[in-house]
Amino acid sequence: MKIFNIALGILAAIGGFVDIGDLVFNVSAGATFGYQLLWVVVIGVVGIIVYSEMCGRVAAVSGKAVFDAVRERLGFRTSLAALISAQVVNLMTLAAEIGGVAICLQLLSGLPYRWLILLAGIALGVIVWVTSFDWIERIFGYGGLCLLVFAVAAVKLHPTWSAVAHGFVPHMETESPLLYAYFAIGLLGAAMTPYEVYFYSSGGVEEQWGPKDLGLNKANAMIGYGLGGFLSFALMIVGGSLFLEKGIQPEFLGSITLGAEVPLGQIGLLLALVGILFAVGGASIDTLFAGAYNLAQYLGWEWGRYRHPSGAPRFTLTWLVLLVLGLGAVMTGVDPVQLTEYAVIFSAVALPLTYVPILLVANDRAYMREYANGRLANVFGLVYLVVIMIVAVTAIPLMILTNVGQN
Amino acid sequence: MKRAFALGAVAAVLTGCNGGTVDDHALKRDAEKVASLATEGELLANDVSKGASTTPFARVHSKELSQSASDLSDALAQRPTSPGIERDVRKLSRLAARVSRQLEQLHLHPSDRGVAASLKQPLTDAADAADKLSK
Repeated sequence: MKIFNIALGILAAIGGFVDIGDLVFNVSAGATFGYQLLWVVVIGVVGIIVYSEMCGRVAAVSGKAVFDAVRERLGFRTSLAALISAQVVNLMTLAAEIGGVAICLQLLSGLPYRWLILLAGIALGVIVWVTSFDWIERIFGYGGLCLLVFAVAAVKLHPTWSAVAHGFVPHMETESPLLYAYFAIGLLGAAMTPYEVYFYSSGGVEEQWGPKDLGLNKANAMIGYGLGGFLSFALMIVGGSLFLEKGIQPEFLGSITLGAEVPLGQIGLLLALVGILFAVGGASIDTLFAGAYNLAQYLGWEWGRYRHPSGAPRFTLTWLVLLVLGLGAVMTGVDPVQLTEYAVIFSAVALPLTYVPILLVANDRAYMREYANGRLANVFGLVYLVVIMIVAVTAIPLMILTNVGQN
Repeated sequence: MKRAFALGAVAAVLTGCNGGTVDDHALKRDAEKVASLATEGELLANDVSKGASTTPFARVHSKELSQSASDLSDALAQRPTSPGIERDVRKLSRLAARVSRQLEQLHLHPSDRGVAASLKQPLTDAADAADKLSK
């Protein structure tokens, strides 16, 4: 049964790494630059493992999640900026993910999109209301594993493996360096998107982790996010092997699933659609909870899905309101794929507001006692802080200069 | 509110909204997009003709591709062009409309292997023609 204990990491990673925007972003990166950007995924994966491990450790040792720490370290007023930026990005992402669930259902059933948006919203609300946190993790985390079909598809497409291996070495062979930089920044932003750590650390508190669970925290971070990174590699290889070869610019969720259908036929298509449905559904729940966790932790409310809704009424009301707002936003007809691409870029700008306080708290010996960061964790933490700053400063200018990646 | 609106307008201009003059660069980009839509349509038609796709997927995805080609065709038919390239721009518009109609056939007959097989070559030809315009 130990294998079930890493469901939190798998759900956080699959929801965070391969949500609707990441799916398109990874495949588009492959379709535009082949395997050249694989090294960026490695940097992103290591970064999110480093910081998730830190905030999981903070949760296990102190019983407090990220936003508790943000408020304590930055103060009520300063952390308001972090809260607002986090909530705006969360809401954008939530709307996009609900739209993504509806698109998946439409590709599976052929029913009208608008009705499926409503169905997706209601289904998510019911699932979150009636299902325990443990089972949400398992259903969506392990259901999302159907996405491994893209790894099989990547192999079946017979990529040039020496070129794939070369992709793990930073290099740039392109006439569009700005576009290359835009994709690199977007991939890093997507890998380290803040709602992953909000959800992950709060999930640790939900599961009542203590110092004895620090090994489990490490396993969750490494296996969960390692798996998310592996799926990103597979998607980029599919993009490079199929779409770049044929000059296709994938823009739709359906285009991505074609990447599994072409080499594997109907079964590949169905597994891809089911995998995406669970991954995007999981991402909806990640963002829904992350938004409610953040507000409740910031304002000091009772929170937690392990409580009965009546035990944490303001937390429950918050996620219900967020769900309605997300549903309303996607019902306006906004394109979920484009919306989540903007969300990835805007979340990149907000990265320092999330990760600086985590690093400060994880170093605070009064708070963390003997479990404070060691030298290695601090070296990695500081290096990634520099990476995060570069990403935050360059994300918007690159988005404008490259016309949101359209060059 | 006014400031937000002005910022939005500046952002739209900076990010290149779809209503400006079509220059050489835009023609190349749009021709690549038409070629991409036609090639993707050909892949889908090929899978449908082999029974390797599902009816709902073929119906929905072919509609997405068809709509995208149709939108591009409309835009290219109306937008002003740089001197000397108007003929190519309008030709690309007609080509995009043709791709849209072919994909619409797949949308209307998503489980008909014969229709799908008959669309493969025309979509390949359209992709090749768009490719030539992008050069």
